[in-house]
Amino acid sequence: MSDLAIGITSFPALLLLIFLRVPIGLAMFLAGLVGLILVTGDTTIPFARLKSETFTTFSSYSLSIIPMFLLMGHFATLGGMSQALFKAAEGFLGHRKGGVAMAAIGACAGFGAICGSSLATAATMSRVALPELRRSGYAGGFATATLAAGGTLGILIPPSIVLVIYAILTEQNIAKLFLAAFIPGILAALGYVLVISLYVRLYPGNAGTRPRAAWRARLRGVWDVWPVLIVFALVVGGIYAGWFTPTEGAAVGALGTGAIAWANGGLSWDSLGESFMVTARSTAMIFFIVLGAAFYNGFLALTQVPQEIALWVVDQGLSPLLVLALILVFYLLLGCLMDSLSMILLTIPIFWPVMQGLDFGFVSLIDLQSARLSDLVQSGAQIAPDVLAQAQAALAQGIELTRAQMNDIGLRGATEGALSRINTEQVAIWFGILVLIVVEVGLITPPVGMNLFIINTMDRTTPMAETYRAVLFFVASDLVRVVLLVLFPVITLALIPW
Amino acid sequence: MYSFFLKLSKLMAWLGGAMLTALIVMVCTSVLGREVNGILHADWLVSLAPGLSRWLLDLGIGPVNGDFELVESGIAFSIFAFLPLCQLTGGHATVDVFTNYLSDRVNQGLRLVTDIVFAGVMVLIAWQLWLGLASKKSSGQTTFLLEMPVWWAYALSLSGAIVAAVIACYVAAMRLREVASGRVILPIDLGANH
Amino acid sequence: QDVTLKLHQFLPAQSAVPSLILDVWADKVEADSGGRIKIDRFPSMQLGGTPPELVDQAIDGVADIVWTVVGYTPGRFPSTEVFELPFFVADPMAASYAYWKMYEADMQDQFDGLHMLGTWVHGPGLFHTTDPVNAPSDLQGMKIRGGSRMVNDMLTAVGATPVGMPVPAVSESLSKGVIDGATLPWEVTSSLKVAELVGNHTDFEGNGLYTLTFIMAMNQGAYDGLPDDLKAVIDANSGLDFSVRAAEANLGADAPSKQIAEDMGNNFITIDQATVDTDWMPLVAPIYGSWVADMDSKGYDGQAMIDRARALMAEYTAAQ
Ligand code: NA
Ligand code: NA
Repeated sequence: MSDLAIGITSFPALLLLIFLRVPIGLAMFLAGLVGLILVTGDTTIPFARLKSETFTTFSSYSLSIIPMFLLMGHFATLGGMSQALFKAAEGFLGHRKGGVAMAAIGACAGFGAICGSSLATAATMSRVALPELRRSGYAGGFATATLAAGGTLGILIPPSIVLVIYAILTEQNIAKLFLAAFIPGILAALGYVLVISLYVRLYPGNAGTRPRAAWRARLRGVWDVWPVLIVFALVVGGIYAGWFTPTEGAAVGALGTGAIAWANGGLSWDSLGESFMVTARSTAMIFFIVLGAAFYNGFLALTQVPQEIALWVVDQGLSPLLVLALILVFYLLLGCLMDSLSMILLTIPIFWPVMQGLDFGFVSLIDLQSARLSDLVQSGAQIAPDVLAQAQAALAQGIELTRAQMNDIGLRGATEGALSRINTEQVAIWFGILVLIVVEVGLITPPVGMNLFIINTMDRTTPMAETYRAVLFFVASDLVRVVLLVLFPVITLALIPW
Repeated sequence: MYSFFLKLSKLMAWLGGAMLTALIVMVCTSVLGREVNGILHADWLVSLAPGLSRWLLDLGIGPVNGDFELVESGIAFSIFAFLPLCQLTGGHATVDVFTNYLSDRVNQGLRLVTDIVFAGVMVLIAWQLWLGLASKKSSGQTTFLLEMPVWWAYALSLSGAIVAAVIACYVAAMRLREVASGRVILPIDLGANH
Repeated sequence: QDVTLKLHQFLPAQSAVPSLILDVWADKVEADSGGRIKIDRFPSMQLGGTPPELVDQAIDGVADIVWTVVGYTPGRFPSTEVFELPFFVADPMAASYAYWKMYEADMQDQFDGLHMLGTWVHGPGLFHTTDPVNAPSDLQGMKIRGGSRMVNDMLTAVGATPVGMPVPAVSESLSKGVIDGATLPWEVTSSLKVAELVGNHTDFEGNGLYTLTFIMAMNQGAYDGLPDDLKAVIDANSGLDFSVRAAEANLGADAPSKQIAEDMGNNFITIDQATVDTDWMPLVAPIYGSWVADMDSKGYDGQAMIDRARALMAEYTAAQ
């Protein structure tokens, strides 16, 4: 069997293992190990790789952000931030039709701004909001579905662990990806609120209301969420403003939420120990998948499969948008069965080279030169008037500036090379956000939706089937959003500076 | 036996958490030092109070030397130390849509085979990490700035890897007993949580 | 073909060293062997691991051939650091000539398990900074990314704050102001967009600020396993000549990157020899002393290595 054939055979073998309930990380590790043994002929090379690969995978500076964000999420809960967020949102929305559910979505969005994980957001907010929803007369399935969907905001709204992994795999700027996720994240929350208001009109018996809160109580509620705002501003704002690297931001956030939890009396030796246990389990699970994926992807690279697939797709001459659509549909289908992180780790090394080879032409050289030129003019640079006029006239007619012209003007960063870097980055960011959304949809699609499971364990009285039925409305809103983001890339890319 | 291994794995998780916390504090100190160092060099402060800024700088206020490599070495220990708890409590992510349709007997068999293979893999990882440690020790490789021998971090990590391997073997042995006796001894799966 | 060799390294395929040196070498070996040797190229650490692991990957046979920066594995091959001393190298070709000669004579035991194909240094490293650097005092409080242990020592000596980070993080850190500058040879600045991110470049007349040492090496077993005629093909394409030509290609790659900075209209500062002697050398001179002491403690004669390297570089220059 040729190396390529071994590489391709490894896909069905891997899926078989996963569907036989072999832990995903272990399955990838085994596929990589056996594959390497077959390709290289004996165990020398795979074993030699293991001498350092487990250590170097676990000692990654960029990935150290993951346990830090996880710990930060637990500290935020211990500090009472999830409770405060829900109370604040409920004060404003509780008296409306479906208002308590909308408040739960709002609180999920707020918690998502300081928590990097969907499941943690779903679990934390369910603990706070589920009893309140049931007490306000919400039907079980509607309540659990609302929180399952709200949980996905944990990863759509930055910070986001899955986005960190994507950034590392595609070598993109984490801060820019966080920024790009912001508008789609807000859109997601708005979409869910819309779904709730439709749902309560379609099925009026499924929701109750609360008495209108007094303004005093509302303001009190807003006052109580200031720690959340500070932590979000410090972590996400600080990473973006360049005060620190993403890892440093996560450390600052963990220390900050820890301090708040301690000040609020939520942090004792016991609860600290409990935070360590939960962080330990989640971190170990994630890193074992990362390790398996690293090992498997190393094997795939050796068989040249990803390069061959990328070449093959380009050779088919399909339109870039069609390729993108096929990939997204693939994620939606796989997402019914697999969890988001494993999917990203498994597939991005194969799909990213494909996407990289496609030209969506977001920015043209004319756009780039015009934008750089107007920046330069605005900065008050001294440019000979006739040279400037000539250049502006050329750009207006759609004629690109020459290297000599750019030198005369003192125009920087407007070359073909700069253009291709900008376009690659834009595709990477856009694709990343789309993938993030479709894999997160997987968290709430039946039959395997991790968020659904988590919440189901918290509300044993609601049959899974009821949750499944109600969650389809939220899935529909996700799909509408994906289509919007595909058709209008500017929604994702608007905030990203070139 | 189970309670002993649970205690052991919780102890490792606690140590890993303590290391993580120490790294968080160190990174924050480094950020603070770097920012203050920048302020002390700022033109306005240097012209306003040259003696003060010089004095503070001479105290060594600045980023923690080698913060980057300390994070790398420390976090590896944390993650290896987190593995045993995940292993013992069935915390690894799985897909069970299809196995739900299979009989209990078949599922028990699958679980036995999986956990035996898992134990083999964890032993392999610990063993190869040991060989890696030996080669780093003999090669004398150090980190960039602190020139700390790389094998130190390997040795710390190996402690977690060994405990994880022992626990994986224990889990596999218990699965064997479960199949033999038909009783459930270990928790099957506490659900992934990330 | 008879043998397939895996060539693994950490840069993207289109960057200077892979495209101008490694690919050229591999193509030549394939052609000279009449197609009996095939060299599969794996850029960007595609086979897994991190750049510091490349040396071990070659020793263990995970890859058959690697190219790497010796400074990524500090402490392992201390002798090569002689070429990384500040203001030590004027001509990279001369340094690479000396490097290979010294490798053959004294360093082979340090590279046990490897069959060396080439040893060279890159073009002179220089400062790329947001604010102009005319004198060491300008570096006070500047956060500068250095590339190796020796470079960091040098940065501390001249008053800068060295910041350790991997090469790919340089662009982002510069654009965010996490660092105020970096020490790099010209050649890598184009792929890191350095000329777009900083406006000042400080170069030195005479000896360059620093250089880093490279090795291109083959797994010993993979080499020993080749039939004699294929060994001869490898031998004919490696060694002294190859090392010098690799340095020449590396140096040649500096010009296009420098051109980009010129096109940007950046500010170029060149410190003349007299100023280097009076203002810079006294600051870095202690590094020579501490390096010699460090070498002596490891059982090598540091001063002899410095003298030998200088003599060999002079020998090369004289022959030109
Ligand atoms: Na989030
Ligand atoms: Na799903």
